[in-house]
Amino acid sequence: MALNVKVNSYKKLKGLPRFVYILAIFTALGMSAGLYRLVAGLGSTTNLSTVFPWGLWISFDLTTVALSGAAFTLAMLVYVFHMHELHAAVRPTVLFGLLGYSSVLVILFFDLGRWDRFWHFLVYPNLTSALFEVSWCIAIYTTILVYEFSPVILERFNNNKLMAFVEKITIPMVIAGITLSSMHQSSLGALFVIAMPRIHPLWYSIIQPEFFFTSSLAAGIATIIVGSHVSIRLFGKTLGQKTIEKLGSLMPWFLGIYLALKLGELIVTGEFGLLFTSGIFSLLYLAELTVGVMVPLVMFLMKKVRISNKLSLVGALFVIAGIVMNRFDISWFVLKPINGVTYFPSWIEIALLVGVISGILLVFSLISHFLPVFTETVSVQSSAEIDAPNLQPVQIPAGD
Amino acid sequence: MGKYGFLIDASRCIDCRACLVACSVENNVPMTSTRIWIIDSGIIGEFPNLKHYTAPYHCMHCNDPSCVSACTVGALQQNEEGIITYDNEACIGCRYCMYACPFEVPHFQWDQQFALITKCDLCVSRLGEGQQEPACAATCPTDAIQFGIREDMLALAHERINNEPDRYVNHVYGEYENGGTSTFYISPIPFEQLGFPTTERTESPAEFNRVTTEKGTPIIAGSMALGMTGIYLALEHRSKKHATVQVEPTETKNDNG
Repeated sequence: MALNVKVNSYKKLKGLPRFVYILAIFTALGMSAGLYRLVAGLGSTTNLSTVFPWGLWISFDLTTVALSGAAFTLAMLVYVFHMHELHAAVRPTVLFGLLGYSSVLVILFFDLGRWDRFWHFLVYPNLTSALFEVSWCIAIYTTILVYEFSPVILERFNNNKLMAFVEKITIPMVIAGITLSSMHQSSLGALFVIAMPRIHPLWYSIIQPEFFFTSSLAAGIATIIVGSHVSIRLFGKTLGQKTIEKLGSLMPWFLGIYLALKLGELIVTGEFGLLFTSGIFSLLYLAELTVGVMVPLVMFLMKKVRISNKLSLVGALFVIAGIVMNRFDISWFVLKPINGVTYFPSWIEIALLVGVISGILLVFSLISHFLPVFTETVSVQSSAEIDAPNLQPVQIPAGD
Repeated sequence: MGKYGFLIDASRCIDCRACLVACSVENNVPMTSTRIWIIDSGIIGEFPNLKHYTAPYHCMHCNDPSCVSACTVGALQQNEEGIITYDNEACIGCRYCMYACPFEVPHFQWDQQFALITKCDLCVSRLGEGQQEPACAATCPTDAIQFGIREDMLALAHERINNEPDRYVNHVYGEYENGGTSTFYISPIPFEQLGFPTTERTESPAEFNRVTTEKGTPIIAGSMALGMTGIYLALEHRSKKHATVQVEPTETKNDNG
């Protein structure tokens, strides 16, 4: 039996798609850049400065946490709101969330001046610090994601005893995960409340935490929709038509609340006029809201979009583009330069980031290759009713 | 005892940079990373009435410090003398204080492999051992930097402006900015021209931070935890009721019996 498993694993290893090896090369290169940064210090390896102490890495972290919000959003819909028809997406989404958060932790490690003290937040508390709270929430939530993913591993190794226990505490764990997510998603916005003097008034808001939280819900839904399309291409698996349609029907709610908050805040604070008088910043803000919120909001209100795989993909991509713009805007593009100092990342910053992203994709591919991640998803070959684009089924040996 | 304070007079500064040397020696740091530096107006005015002003600049030691509110690991603290101290044993180098500080004070050791924040701690160790002034104030040859009790320094600032209204603009920088500080500046030219970060705001960003972290977050967390539990239980109850209706009568009897 053990031998059988070994032989099968070996066969599976040989059957890995070719992009996995390319990802491995990028990961190795990126990690080398990261090691060099650890040895050489931040000054000579990054373009960070006194004026821009945070750069590309933090913008990436903010974006990734928002997109990884897919995991808690879906857990909320499936387990709390009893939308069991969405259950098929749980495993791949939880895995994506787990790896997304892991990549954030890795990047943060490289970003610290004293990376050897990364654990200090555990023993030196400052309860008024948003970053302290974010650190704790992300640490605990990542553990919960490991728990939420554990059935996949237990199923692979037929450990029924543990599985029964894991299933028993699902609901409390899911609710704890949602609570922690609501805390750190919003607290990431709170980071930019204290940086008041630096942020353009169009973006600055005391309710930044609420903006971050509501937008992470929309980002989460969008990530699941896009993810199902990516997994068609890479793994030959996708979500059923009904799942995508259901997800699409939820989108207008989240986007609508977010848009109302954003515009409402501008009106209440009397900053609405800035939308037209701030030159390039007005354009940037309008672009962000139009691309990321208004266009997809209108799209997902139409049944035609929700039932079409292609159109819902386009709508979800708009939402993700909007999230990327928003997180990069607030942490980088709309920060007031001081004494004319601006920021553009160095090649090492970019290389490490590419390496880490490749790393997550690599681990995702390997895990979903060896573990039953896509069990409930629809195999593309066998589902004619999915209007998937002309696909070449990826060469993965059919399950044993 | 009261809080310590500084009065820094830009009209007296001659840009000799002795304060930087003193800071470097006292804190045993290279001249490139002193905790005090010079803010420079550049050459202003029209020929032949050209002017050039400078002022030494260091941590303002705020009444309600944003950096203390922001620091992830509580490495920055305010002591009872109003000094913002820095614990280099706790700091993880996350640089959040650099964003939080409205006066652009904390600096980072970009050239170090294991890098920390650098910031004026008011030579707190000197103050302890026999009532010496901070190194910069003790060294300044023109008394542009004066050190004493905060209230005295503030009174002195107003006194100088009142005595020589032509010499100074009528503005004590640090009295109200961002909730007030322990370092006061007076200047012959508006502070904006001198290169200071200017603001109309009289409350500290720390106040807004506390609204979100001490009120906002617990409210969000509490309402999510309760709301989610409530919704789950309600929907679970409904689906169970739904299920029992569909169950066949014989089975229901068995359950009851």
